[in-house]
Amino acid sequence: MSLLEYQYFPVTRPGKGAGGKTGSWRVFKPVVNYNKCIGCKACFMFCPESTIIPSDGKVRVDYEYCKGCGVCANVCPVKAIEMVSET
Amino acid sequence: MIRKIISGNEAVALAVKLARVGVTGIYPITPQTTIIEKLAEMKASGEINTEIVRVESEHSAMAATFGAALAGIRSFTATASQGLLYMHEMIWWVAGSRTPVVMVVGTRAVGAPWNIWNEHTDFTSERDSGWLMAFASNPQEALDLTLQAFRISEDERVFLPMMVGMDGFILSHTKTNVIIPDQEDVDEYLPPRRQPYVIDPEDPVGMGNIFPPEEYMKLRQSIDLSIKNSEDVIRELGMEYNKKLNVLGDYSTLNVTYKLDDADYAVVVMGAWAGDTMEAIDKLRERGVKIGMLRIRYLRPWSEKEIRDALKDKKAVLVLDRSISMGRGGPLYVEIKSTISDIVPSIKGVVSGLGGVSVSKSDLLYLFEKFLQGIREDVLWYYPKEVGKIELRTPRDIE
Repeated sequence: MSLLEYQYFPVTRPGKGAGGKTGSWRVFKPVVNYNKCIGCKACFMFCPESTIIPSDGKVRVDYEYCKGCGVCANVCPVKAIEMVSET
Repeated sequence: MIRKIISGNEAVALAVKLARVGVTGIYPITPQTTIIEKLAEMKASGEINTEIVRVESEHSAMAATFGAALAGIRSFTATASQGLLYMHEMIWWVAGSRTPVVMVVGTRAVGAPWNIWNEHTDFTSERDSGWLMAFASNPQEALDLTLQAFRISEDERVFLPMMVGMDGFILSHTKTNVIIPDQEDVDEYLPPRRQPYVIDPEDPVGMGNIFPPEEYMKLRQSIDLSIKNSEDVIRELGMEYNKKLNVLGDYSTLNVTYKLDDADYAVVVMGAWAGDTMEAIDKLRERGVKIGMLRIRYLRPWSEKEIRDALKDKKAVLVLDRSISMGRGGPLYVEIKSTISDIVPSIKGVVSGLGGVSVSKSDLLYLFEKFLQGIREDVLWYYPKEVGKIELRTPRDIE
């Protein structure tokens, strides 16, 4: 074994983590209608999982972590987010 | 380089001074107390500018030392017996985080019942924690091994903490002639500290947080490999130490042999009673008995190759233990047996000197003669003096 190939250290970089991923059990997913979205970021403020990511004045959803709770769709003042069935 | 009559504890304190240690977490426990007393004295007189952190327990002493080490500062602590046991949790945190830290253990019996005298059980019971473990046999070696411990633990092939054992009272409080190296030579031998990762606001990292099963096992294997690989590092750095700082002894090997090359019989020991063992061996050699000694200086890494080379073609081996792994004999006996059982026909163990029981040269001589005649038991509990029978008590009914 070459020098230092065996060295491994218990250090992690800050990241999203593997534990919070949603998996396959979500029933509804939020879909943003970009024609309606005004970029007010209310959904971003209220999302309990921090899966709404503001980008270019609008928002997009991180589906890997989104649990499909529907809070974003409820707080959207212009009804730009629709909960779509995944089943 | 100066010569001084000092105790083992003072020798260790001087080594800490020479190594330019930045932070020392201190809590007093017999027989280690005088190390930190000496350090505090040197701090008060301005001889050193080590930050001395006074804490409320040994657990905190190791935690403070660990924290300083994580911040990238060379740090040191010392302990013994119950204190070492109280540190036990932090000892694993330090080893598991692969942070170089140096600790000196003035070995002592572990209660209950209360006993402050010399024994090795506290030291050997930390065997599996992932620390490198060296054991000194005189104050000079305590100083040398402590200095080397900083260099070895901070080597990029190792990056593990290291503890140096020293017989409580026998070495810690007995004054002998010790050669103290010059500061310039030590500075040349000990480069500034390096470590794999530090606390740094510019580059934040998570340390020792939760690890999933496979990653955890990978880390454990990495520590295991690191300990195995440290064997060559210790030899290499030992040779460098011989050249730059040392005028007595030889640190180019992990373990030390005495009159072993032509011997038929071998005695394996660790720690201060190696001195008496050598004298007893000289006596037997005068009578024409071919007997030699192997002194274990490093319990971890365990140099299987060196030990097998030293003990091959011996007729019988006797292992002296000043500690006991309950139900299995001494830890050293168990280790030696697992290492050489296929090449040595007879391996016997002796457990003695527990809790400060005094084992003199004549006791050792008697023991070796008994061994040459053939001991029946695999592990013999040897009491130098006549002791009364253990008093048996029948359990009392509780109403």
